[in-house]
Amino acid sequence: MAVIEVEHLTKRFGKVLAVDDVSFSIQPGTITGFLGPNGAGKTTTLRMIVDLVRPTRGSTRVLGGPYHDLARPWTRVGALLDASGFHPGRSGRNALRVVARASGIPESRVETVLEMVELTGAAKRAVKGYSTGMRQRLALGCVLLGDPEVLLLDEPGNGLDPEGIRWLRTFLRQRTAEGKTVLVSSHVLAEVEQTVDEVLIISRGKLVAQGPIAELAVGIGAVVRCRTPQAERLQELLVARGAAVNRLDAALAVRGPSAAEVGQVALDNSIVLHELLTEQPSLEDLFLQIAGTRRGPS
Amino acid sequence: MIDLLKAEILKVRSTRTALGLLIAALVIAVLPTILAVLLIPKEELVATEGGLIAVLGIMPAASLVPLLCLVFGILSMTNEYRHGTVSYTYLTTPHRGQVILVKLLVCAVIGAAIMLVTGVLAVVTAGLGAELRDIDLGLTELSETSDWELLRDVSLVLLTTGLATAFGVALGALIRHQVITVAGTLIWALAVENIISGLKPSVGEWLPFTVFLQVVVNTGKVDPVGPSLSSLQAFLVSLAYIALASVAAVYTTMRRDVT
Repeated sequence: MAVIEVEHLTKRFGKVLAVDDVSFSIQPGTITGFLGPNGAGKTTTLRMIVDLVRPTRGSTRVLGGPYHDLARPWTRVGALLDASGFHPGRSGRNALRVVARASGIPESRVETVLEMVELTGAAKRAVKGYSTGMRQRLALGCVLLGDPEVLLLDEPGNGLDPEGIRWLRTFLRQRTAEGKTVLVSSHVLAEVEQTVDEVLIISRGKLVAQGPIAELAVGIGAVVRCRTPQAERLQELLVARGAAVNRLDAALAVRGPSAAEVGQVALDNSIVLHELLTEQPSLEDLFLQIAGTRRGPS
Repeated sequence: MIDLLKAEILKVRSTRTALGLLIAALVIAVLPTILAVLLIPKEELVATEGGLIAVLGIMPAASLVPLLCLVFGILSMTNEYRHGTVSYTYLTTPHRGQVILVKLLVCAVIGAAIMLVTGVLAVVTAGLGAELRDIDLGLTELSETSDWELLRDVSLVLLTTGLATAFGVALGALIRHQVITVAGTLIWALAVENIISGLKPSVGEWLPFTVFLQVVVNTGKVDPVGPSLSSLQAFLVSLAYIALASVAAVYTTMRRDVT
């Protein structure tokens, strides 16, 4: 049975169609990346799954039913939707205690979670004194309070420094090792590339792809990168043979022919190569190809 | 429901809003009394007879503390939206109606408790001040009131302050924007209703804040001020207002998106 089921989900805010007929399901024990540029409809979809936003059409089910029908939902589903969702005058510990009390979670769990997110030393301080990264860790701690079997994380890497991103990756791996189901949204692809089993790609409110990265990458093919002082000449030759070539000064990114074929063309035309390598498509390549967006470096 | 109640109480205890309210209420209640005892000539105090308690500052306490509590009610609800804590609140308790009802209850109790503390302190301060200056406080008139009537009047004042606080919660849930709600409520309460009451008293006496005020200031032996609903009538109308506002707050909160 799917842990999360979304069927024909649609949300319209006035004239803006934020989510357009999105359907997908998430299997238990998987970690799924929910990818899309800012404003694609990721957050709205996640908020509809947990009943914070009412769908215009369609339905969502979590663990077999609507979120509001779950008994003590915070012990079944943890959702990080807004890292700034804490009263600035309340201490980190009290922020967690409020959520724990409302969910019937024992107070001892608060201390355990504070240790897990490495905030024990700052627990007495008011949240207004926290850095963005500390607030993000506090929000992750809040999600872990009920030790839920399902985690919905909306842009969990926002505001984290490189050390924090590494910490987040470890965090996600630990959760999957524990058999949790994770749906993590992000527009920073490197953040989730090394962690996710599957991806959902959403663009302009529509779900445009779903599946394992390797499976989706098949249709894209590898990129051959080469560097030569005669880049313009080599580009002309490769384009004449039907390849798609992007050039930046002496560097070429070639789609279509293999590295051997590119090397042969260079040899046949006495073009010196300083570098020739095959690069498997990254999640970013996949995303840019499928979502058709121009964001970020290609 | 009990878990939610505990969480709401912790929310109040873990920030300084309620403490700030209590301090402000104490200043409002006690400062005028102290100033009156120290500065007003004895002859004038004695001359006021039945109105002496009012002059000594019980009136400011009785009329301003409920307004302060109402603002506290607004803040306790709008802070959830302002700081984004409302997401966690509705994620842990998806049945939003329960959240609003518990918040109404908790804030009503806090409002009534603050009124009780400030009222007692104002009376005690007035009593001590009168004792020091050898002034008859006019308590003999109060002593003519039966225990039952006194209990009824005090209860009405406390209940109405609680209701005013809960009314603030309902307004906050309806409007959600903190500055607009606080500013709009104060402008309405302090200016608009006074203007309407001045121009058309028969309409003014039924307006919400004028009704709240009538319960408080028309209680006991203090002369009725302005419009003339009895305390009991005003209390019943207050109940109707809070019931209406609460139902509207629950209805809209259940239907709105939390974005």
